[in-house]
Amino acid sequence: MKRALPVLVLTVAGLVPLWRYEPSHGTTATEAPTTATTPSASASGRVVAGPTVTTEKGDVQVEVTLDGDRISSVRMLKQPDSPQTKGAVPTLIQETLKAQSADVDTVSGATVTSEGYKKSLQAALDEA
Amino acid sequence: MLRRVEHVMGFPVSLRIDDEGAWDAVADEAFAWLRAVDRRFSPFRADSEVCRLDRGEPAAGAVSADLAQVLGLCEEYRTATGGAFDARLPGRGLDPCAVVKGWSVQRAAELLTAAGARRFCLNAGGDVVVSGGPWRVGIRHPEDAGRVCAVLEVTDGAVATSGRYERGDHILDGRTGRPATGLLSLTVLAPTLTEADATATAAFALGEEGVAWAAARAGCEVFAVDAGRRVVRTAGVPMAGVS
Repeated sequence: MKRALPVLVLTVAGLVPLWRYEPSHGTTATEAPTTATTPSASASGRVVAGPTVTTEKGDVQVEVTLDGDRISSVRMLKQPDSPQTKGAVPTLIQETLKAQSADVDTVSGATVTSEGYKKSLQAALDEA
Repeated sequence: MLRRVEHVMGFPVSLRIDDEGAWDAVADEAFAWLRAVDRRFSPFRADSEVCRLDRGEPAAGAVSADLAQVLGLCEEYRTATGGAFDARLPGRGLDPCAVVKGWSVQRAAELLTAAGARRFCLNAGGDVVVSGGPWRVGIRHPEDAGRVCAVLEVTDGAVATSGRYERGDHILDGRTGRPATGLLSLTVLAPTLTEADATATAAFALGEEGVAWAAARAGCEVFAVDAGRRVVRTAGVPMAGVS
């Protein structure tokens, strides 16, 4: 663990200037796409701007450039300027992997398919 | 009180509401929203908004506010991971699934809250939103489907896990185009599932360095199992005692 830490610190330090927002808390300013702009032709393809979406952290708007029939780029026209990261190095702990048969209400795991669900722990909890 | 399991977007969605009263109409509304999202945003349905955009069909004003929000999230995580997380990989169509799932299930949970539900648990194929806890949320052991490797005690929040054990090497590192194999699984606890799910997928794509990357994101706690079967987690993970 002691050897791993300096590397982790460097990785984290490089991320500090990035910004972050939480659009899920936001209310969309417009449900209807009426504020999107008319596509405009440019040398690199058609450009379509999405509507401005108001989030808790500020307004967000994206612009999609279509090169022929493919998306060639997505650009942020508006984005909140709040800091994306905690600004402090988080403490990481190393432990050994344990297998438990503990009493739980629900289980988080990699996405189970409907097929795999039948014999999953979550299926057993749903039946209980 | 209500308990219901329905299958949407190819995975099971389990809803449990513990509040007194009849919740069937509210549950109907939440599941209808998830089905609508599947129709609108699936990369596998030729008439979805995502496929139409990918074919360059949007006429004036055809990018809906919801799709614009999803694309904005995809772009945020692509930039923040230096391209490891990318909804537009070369040779593939636009696939915003990794963002759409968490975002849409979070919206379904907000719909339940708005309808008056206080104590509920919504589990969409392993991605979880809980309200009004304490809830005991197990993290599935990456090598033993019948057991958990940790139990988190969560009052209000979201828990999402990315891993290779259910659907193989399906998460690609956008920087190399190759499957991400540095971790067995990575779990994120965050205030919303929008953040938890996208952060877990993006961190998994980053591999071992994804643990520190996700840990540095505001509001996120991380529990990861690396390829050497070691657990690396943040100090703030609310580990519950085993009972």
